[in-house]
Amino acid sequence: MLALQIWLVKALLIFLTTESIGELLDPCGHIDPESPIIQRGSNFTAVCVLKEKCMDYFHVNANYIIWKTNHLTVPKEQYTVINRTAASVTFTNVVSPNLQLTCNILTFGQIEQNVYGITVLSGFPPEKPKNLNCIVNEGRKMMCQWDPGRETYLETNFTLKSEWATEKFDDCKTKPDTPNSCLVDYSPVYFVNIEVWVEAENALGNITSDHINFDPIDKVKPNPPRNLSVSNSEELSSILKLTWINPSINSVIRLKYNILYRTKDASTWSQIPPEDTASTRSSFTVQDLKPFTEYVFRVRCMKEDGKGFWSEWSEDASGITYEDRPSKAPSFWYRINPSHSHSYRSVQLIWKTLPPFEANGKILDYEVTLTRWKSYLQNYTVNDTKLTVNLTNDRYTATLTARNIVGKSDTSILTIPAYDFQGKLMESKCYLITVTPVYANGPGSPESTKAYLKQAPPSKGPTVRTKKVGKNEAVLEWDQLPVDVQNGFIRNYTIFYRTIIGNETAVNVDSSHTEYTLSSLTSDTLYMVRMTAYTDEGGKDGPEFTFTTPKFAQGEIEAIVVPVCLAFLLTTLLGVLFCFNKRDLIKKHIWPNVPDPSKSHIAQWSPHTPPRHNFNSKDQMYSDGNFTDVSVVEIEANDKKPFPEDLKSLDLFKKEKISTEGHSSGIGGSSCMSSSRPSISSSDENESTQNTSSTVQYSTVVHSGYRHQVPSVQVFSRSESTQPLLDSEERPEDLQLVDNVDSSDGILPRQQYFKQNCNQPETCPDISHFERSKQVSSGNEEDFMRLKQQQISNQNSQSCASGQMKMFQEVSAADAFGPGTEGQVERFETVGIEAAIDEGMPKSYLPQTVRQGGYMPQ
Amino acid sequence: MDLRAGDSWGMLACLCTVLWHLPAVPALNRTGDPGPGPSIQKTYDLTRYLEHQLRSLAGTYLNYLGPPFNEPDFNPPRLGAETLPRATVNLEVWRSLNDKLRLTQNYEAYSHLLCYLRGLNRQAATAELRRSLAHFCTSLQGLLGSIAGVMAALGYPLPQPLPGTEPTWAPGPAHSDFLQKMDDFWLLKELQTWLWRSAKDFNRLKKKMQPPAAAVTLHLEAHGF
Repeated sequence: MLALQIWLVKALLIFLTTESIGELLDPCGHIDPESPIIQRGSNFTAVCVLKEKCMDYFHVNANYIIWKTNHLTVPKEQYTVINRTAASVTFTNVVSPNLQLTCNILTFGQIEQNVYGITVLSGFPPEKPKNLNCIVNEGRKMMCQWDPGRETYLETNFTLKSEWATEKFDDCKTKPDTPNSCLVDYSPVYFVNIEVWVEAENALGNITSDHINFDPIDKVKPNPPRNLSVSNSEELSSILKLTWINPSINSVIRLKYNILYRTKDASTWSQIPPEDTASTRSSFTVQDLKPFTEYVFRVRCMKEDGKGFWSEWSEDASGITYEDRPSKAPSFWYRINPSHSHSYRSVQLIWKTLPPFEANGKILDYEVTLTRWKSYLQNYTVNDTKLTVNLTNDRYTATLTARNIVGKSDTSILTIPAYDFQGKLMESKCYLITVTPVYANGPGSPESTKAYLKQAPPSKGPTVRTKKVGKNEAVLEWDQLPVDVQNGFIRNYTIFYRTIIGNETAVNVDSSHTEYTLSSLTSDTLYMVRMTAYTDEGGKDGPEFTFTTPKFAQGEIEAIVVPVCLAFLLTTLLGVLFCFNKRDLIKKHIWPNVPDPSKSHIAQWSPHTPPRHNFNSKDQMYSDGNFTDVSVVEIEANDKKPFPEDLKSLDLFKKEKISTEGHSSGIGGSSCMSSSRPSISSSDENESTQNTSSTVQYSTVVHSGYRHQVPSVQVFSRSESTQPLLDSEERPEDLQLVDNVDSSDGILPRQQYFKQNCNQPETCPDISHFERSKQVSSGNEEDFMRLKQQQISNQNSQSCASGQMKMFQEVSAADAFGPGTEGQVERFETVGIEAAIDEGMPKSYLPQTVRQGGYMPQ
Repeated sequence: MDLRAGDSWGMLACLCTVLWHLPAVPALNRTGDPGPGPSIQKTYDLTRYLEHQLRSLAGTYLNYLGPPFNEPDFNPPRLGAETLPRATVNLEVWRSLNDKLRLTQNYEAYSHLLCYLRGLNRQAATAELRRSLAHFCTSLQGLLGSIAGVMAALGYPLPQPLPGTEPTWAPGPAHSDFLQKMDDFWLLKELQTWLWRSAKDFNRLKKKMQPPAAAVTLHLEAHGF
C-alpha cells in the first residue's frame, strides 16, 4: 500500500517535471534517501541533488532549492546548502506518520519547478508482544492471541512459532487484519507440552515475546454438551432431571459443569452450586423447584481441574415440574339472598380461584360440605367458584377444599350464623370481636379485637414463685392470669417483698412480663414476696411466697475447693517426683545400709584368695586415686545403672557397697560378671535388721583383702584356672537341668545350662557361643562369626549371669536381670576396657568356688 | 472469691492441654523435586489419547481398505508382518522387565511403528485420511518425545538405532495388493496392541514412581518423667 503510494507520487512528479521541462524525460534531480522510514520523534535530513544539465537550462543552483512538505513550504532556516548542486533540509522531532517531501527550484524569477518528491514514513519499532495465550477449540485448530503493544504505524509482521522439545512446527503468520492472533495450521497434540512464542518485525526492528510452554489439553475449550433434555418425576414435584450428551473430548479428559436455570418467565438465571457438578456426568437432578412450574436450563462444561476454558452454553431446554396438592385453601365467603320463605334462605357460597403458585397444578374441582349445627352433612362437588344452596335458618358450618390430580388442599371453614342471631353481653367478660370486610369479589382479611363491656378488679391475684435463687438475687416468675379471673385488661403488676424484720419494698412490673429479677438481696436471709395484678378498676393480691437466699453463690464452693485440691495434687505430684528422682539420696540419709555383723564370713573368705585377686586386679585398673576403698570401682563396673547416672551415684554406691562388699565379693562375685545389684539386694535381704553403717570388722576385711592382693596382678591366668573347677562344679547340676534335652554333644549340656538359667532367650545362645569360642575347640559344627559374637556375648553375658544369680540367690528380676543388659552396654562404651571384660568372663565362675566355700554354709 | 467452678475446670483443662502438647511432634516437611512422576502421568494420558484416536482412525482406514479388512470378525494370520515389533509378551516376562528395558522397548517399538505409519500415510488415497494419518503421526512423534523425556528424567540413555536396520516402507515386488493391505491391517492392529501395552507399562511406572506415603512418626518424649 505504502509502496504503491510512493510509486504514485514519483510517477506524478516525473510526469509534472517532464511536462514542465518539455522534452526532458529525466527528472531534474533526486532526493536522498529515496524512501525513508524513520522512528517517530527522531530527526530527519534529506538532500536534494540537482543535475548540471538542468541547472544550466534553468540557470539555477542549490541556493534556488525550495523544500515543501505536503504542499507547504519549509522555512528557510531548516535548509543547508551543501555545495552548488546539493542542498539539505532537516526536520526535528518528526511526528507526522506520512510526510510528502518535495524538492523544488525557483526558475525564471518566481516559477516553482518540482524536481523530485519522496514520502517519509515514521513509526515505531514493535514492542515485545505480551499476554500470549492459546486456546484449543475442541476438534479445531489451536489459536493463539497476544497483546501486540503500541501502534507502530508501520507494516509489522507477527509470526507465531511453536515447537516440541524434539520437533519444530511450521510458523503461523498473522493476517494483516488480525495482527494479534494466529490460527495454527495443525491440530495440536494433547498431552505433549508445546512451546510457543511470537516474533514481531517491522522496518525499525524485531522482537520476540516470552516463550510459553503448555500442554494443549490444558487450553481446551470443549464443545458444549449436546441434546440437553429435561424430565420430571411423578414421585417428587420439586425435582427435574437433566440429561445431556457430553462432548467427545470427554473420552480423554474429565469434565466439570455449570448449570443455570430459571423459571420460564424470569429474566435472571440461578446457578446450581458448582461443587455439586464438579465431576464428569451426563445427568443431574435439580431439586427444590416449585411444583407445576416450567423451568429453563442450560449447561456448559470445562476440564475438571479448571485448566482450560468453559465451553459455550448448551441449547436451552425446558421442563415442567410435576403437580403437587394445592398448598392453600381458597378464600371463601357467603351471601344471603332475600328469601321468599320464612323457614328457608338462599345462601350463595363464593370463592376465588387459587393463583398458580398455590394451586400447584390444574384444579379439577372443589368440594363443599355444609353441616347444620353438628348434625346434618351435605356434600357438593363443584367445578365453578360458587354454589347456591337453600338452608334453614339454623346455624351452618361450610367447608371448602380445592382438588387437583395429586390431592386436596387444606380445608377452609366458614360459619353461617343462624338467622335470628342475637347475643347477650355480660360485664367483666372478655369478648373477641371479629370484623370481616366483604368486597365485590370476595372477603378481605378479618381483624379481631378483645373487648370488655365493663372491667372489674381481678378475682384472683397472681401466684409468684422463685425460678432461681442466688446469693444476692432471686428470679421470680409467675403465670399470666387466666382470662376467666382477669375481669379486665391487666395493666401492671406490683411485687412486694420484705424480710421478716425489714420494710416492705414494692416494684412495679409491666403486664407483658412473666419474670422479674430481684437484686441486691442479703445472703442467707428469709424473704417474703407477693404480687398484685391491676386492671383499670383495681388490683388483687396473690398468695405470699417465702424463700431463703443461700449463704454461698452457686459454684462458689467448687471454685474454692477445686483449685485447692488441684494445688494439693500438684504439690503431691511434684513431691513424689522429687522423691523419685532423689530416692537414692533420701535412702542414704534415712536408711543407710548397714551390714549384719553376725552374717559376715571373714573366716571363710580369707582362704579363698584367688577370687580376691581377680577383684583386686580389676579394681586397680579402674581405680581412682580418690577412692580409698577400691572395691567401689568393682561395684561401679558392674552396676546396673546406665553410665550418666553412674557417675552421679558413684559416691552413693560407694558407701553402700562398702557395707555390702562383704557379700558382694562373695555372692555378687559368684555370677558370670559379678553383678553388684543382686548382691545388694541379697544383702538387703539378709541384713534387713541392720541399721548401722559398716562395722569395723567388715571394712577391715575388705581392706586387708585388697591390700593382700595389691602385689598380685596376675588376674586372668588365675581366673581361668578356676574354670575346670566350675565345670566340675556345675556338671551335676547341668545334667539335672538338661535331663530332657537330647544331646550327645559334650558341649551342649553347658549351653543348655545357660539356657535354663537365663531368662532372655536371645542372650543365652550368645553366651554359649562365647563359651565355646573361649574354651572349646574351634571345630564347632555351627557357623557363626566368632569375633562379632564375642562382642555381643560380652555384653549379654551380664544379663545371663544375672539370670544365673537369680536362680541361685532368688534375686528379684527387677533388681538383677533387667538393668543388667542396659547397664552393661553403657559401661563397655564408657569404660572401654574390653579386654578386661573379656577376661572377666572366666572370672564369672569364681562365684562357684566361693559359693562352695563361703556361701553354701549360709 | 470470684472464681466460679467453671473457671477452675477450664484451668485444669488448660493445664491438661499444655501437658498433652508437651511431647515434641516433629513437623513433616517433604519438599523437593517432583521427579519423573508428572511426565510419566502425561505419557500415560497420551497413550490413552492415542488409543482413542487410533480407534476412529483405524475404522476409517480399514473401511478405505475395504472388505474383508473392515469386517469386525476379520482375524487373519500374521503373515508378512514379521518386521513389525510385537507388543504381545509373556506376562511373567513383562512383569520382570526393569524400568529401563520397559522404556527402551516402548521407544524402539514406536520408532519403528512411526516409520511404517509414515509409509502408510504416503499411500492413503483421500485427503481427509491423509490428514488424520498425518495428525496421528505427529501425535505418535509426540509420544516418542514423551518417552524420551521420561527416559532422560530417569537417567537412561536413548537407544541408538543400529545403522542399516532402519525399517523402510519398501514392500518387495512379491507383495500383491492384498498382502499389502494385510500389512497395513497388521500395522494398525499392532499399533493398537502397543498402545494398550504402553498404557499398562506407564501405569505400572506411574505407580512405582509415586512417593510412598509419608510415614508419620511421633516422637513422644515425656519430659521430666
